[in-house]
Amino acid sequence: MAELNLLFKDRNVPGIENLDVYEAHGGYQGLKKALAMDRQAVIDDIKTSGLRGRGGAGFPTWIKWNGMPKNYDKPHYIICNADEGEPGTYKDRELMLKAAHTLVEGMIIAAYATHSIAGFVYIRGEYVQPAWQVRKAIDQAYKAGYLGKNILGVEGFNFDLYIQMGGGSYECGEESALMSSLMGERGNPRLKFPHAPLPVVEGVWKSPTLINNVETYCAATWIIANGGAEYAKYGTERSKGSKVMSVSGHVARPANFEIELGTPLMELIDMAGGVINGRLKAVIPGGSSVQIMTAEQCKKINLDYESCAANGTLLGSGGFMVFNDLTDVPLLMKRTAEFYMHESCGKCTPCREGTRWIFKILDRITSGAGREGDIELLLDVCSQVDGRSYCGLGDAAAWPIVGAIKAFRPEFEYWIANKRSPVGPRHVPPSPEVVNPLLALTAV
Amino acid sequence: MSMTSVSGGMREPLPAPAREYHFSEEAVAELENIVTHYPERKAACLPALWIAQREYGGYLTPTAIQEVADRLGLSMQEVEGVATFYTMYNLRPRGRHHLEVCTCLTCAVMGAYEVVHTLEHELGVGIGQTTKDGEFTLSEAECLDYCGAATVMQVGDKYFTNLTAGNVMNLIEELRKSPDYTPAKLADSIVKVHIAGSSETGGGSYKPEDLG
Repeated sequence: MAELNLLFKDRNVPGIENLDVYEAHGGYQGLKKALAMDRQAVIDDIKTSGLRGRGGAGFPTWIKWNGMPKNYDKPHYIICNADEGEPGTYKDRELMLKAAHTLVEGMIIAAYATHSIAGFVYIRGEYVQPAWQVRKAIDQAYKAGYLGKNILGVEGFNFDLYIQMGGGSYECGEESALMSSLMGERGNPRLKFPHAPLPVVEGVWKSPTLINNVETYCAATWIIANGGAEYAKYGTERSKGSKVMSVSGHVARPANFEIELGTPLMELIDMAGGVINGRLKAVIPGGSSVQIMTAEQCKKINLDYESCAANGTLLGSGGFMVFNDLTDVPLLMKRTAEFYMHESCGKCTPCREGTRWIFKILDRITSGAGREGDIELLLDVCSQVDGRSYCGLGDAAAWPIVGAIKAFRPEFEYWIANKRSPVGPRHVPPSPEVVNPLLALTAV
Repeated sequence: MSMTSVSGGMREPLPAPAREYHFSEEAVAELENIVTHYPERKAACLPALWIAQREYGGYLTPTAIQEVADRLGLSMQEVEGVATFYTMYNLRPRGRHHLEVCTCLTCAVMGAYEVVHTLEHELGVGIGQTTKDGEFTLSEAECLDYCGAATVMQVGDKYFTNLTAGNVMNLIEELRKSPDYTPAKLADSIVKVHIAGSSETGGGSYKPEDLG
């Protein structure tokens, strides 16, 4: 259980963003293997691998691929959800910068398996540099005959791949809101199954649509190239393979680490060089939407879907944020609440009103104007948003607050009783001598 | 009661307002190219708004929104609805540099608010305001998702990283001399990334050494 570079195996190879270097390192072997297999055999290999969606929900990938209709009376579309918006997560950014060919190859393999005619990489508007890498990979793939008509000589396998950039909206990372945005509308979501058809039945333009995360397609490339059984050798019983964790916060070397699922949480902190400027206080292991864990709880958690859930948090997107004991948790939660309030699409009342009230109450508490009963009020508002909103953003807004109150209730009580922070006047940034592999003042 | 008094004399539709179109020929060609990616014209609404943002100097005037609506066969209200939903479409002019400082979770604990306060103090503007010389507009951004390099600021199409209260003003001085990170340049880079083959023509400000 440790660092396991499958998707990132060629991360440091100079020139890996060029097709010839990618091919020299085994690139497009996966696609060639897939084209020699039956379409169903490709899906079965994904099933053998045990791959689960890497965007945050962890849904078994083979079920989605298999759910695409086997008849082709409507055009099939595949979408890559590259609208990485979850705070704490920057894995897709690096995957697109360093492994864009892996992504493109994975989408072509998925297109073959699901007989899709067109694909869209929906990239958040702020990710312009990663988008240009994807653009380059797509252009080179067209030139080499991996995209377009009759790909690699397979009669009738036509697939076109397009990019659409977003316009700045976290909600558009939600798959149904993404579909709305792709169709040129406001990013409002739809109801989920069973109240509405699944995207694989009726997605964009009323046609079957497969949507997966960047990391999921990259993993699919590795799986088809090396075999599903190989992938299943890694990980735990129900969490197979590797996961890219984006480590940030008060650690010496924040970076993306691809780990074997099941790796103990504390080991990931060590990989990132340990906690700086204080002792470990809290970790949010899976992006801002998951519950914050105390240092004590962290010692018991392994980074896989089951262990995280059993301990009251979630593996989520893998946005792993580490906080030292100079961090004020209610202030952190106020900023989290502000994020969800800004990003709420506004369609449904519980989320639109609830996120605003959650923020207002936390703002009041952390400005020294907190009142007796505010914590109960906060929990009450959260319970009216969680599970009652049109899409998952409502749940994602409520869970971290409820989790923070559960884990750090004394801090909230201190703020209300004493009208000041229990920790100190403000957050303390790390000292400049800290070695940071991402360091640069200039552009990235 | 006659029809005239009920309808107030407005039985005939009003004449359409004059349309001023600002899209260059190149922009029209780009739009028509992007429209072919989708089964419906209206689906190109987001890319079309990026083209308009570039053509109209970095922000969407009402005329810009009307032009997009006309070119896609939508109503102005529908396009305005889309333009007002997404944060990156500017509905008011911005300075030559739009400084978007992330203050979300990790950046917040890594000194983002100190960076914002330094910029407010040194540039003499508050959040959302533009300096008198039109050079800088200061905003807070929601998570830019490069948390490992906190504190992050987006200007144009680039992320500037590892910012602190101590080093951000050095970056500001470099930006004053640079032509590359304007809102119009950002829109242009985004438009071109939609076009197949554009990476070979060197479109956009992508350079191989930009890898993170």
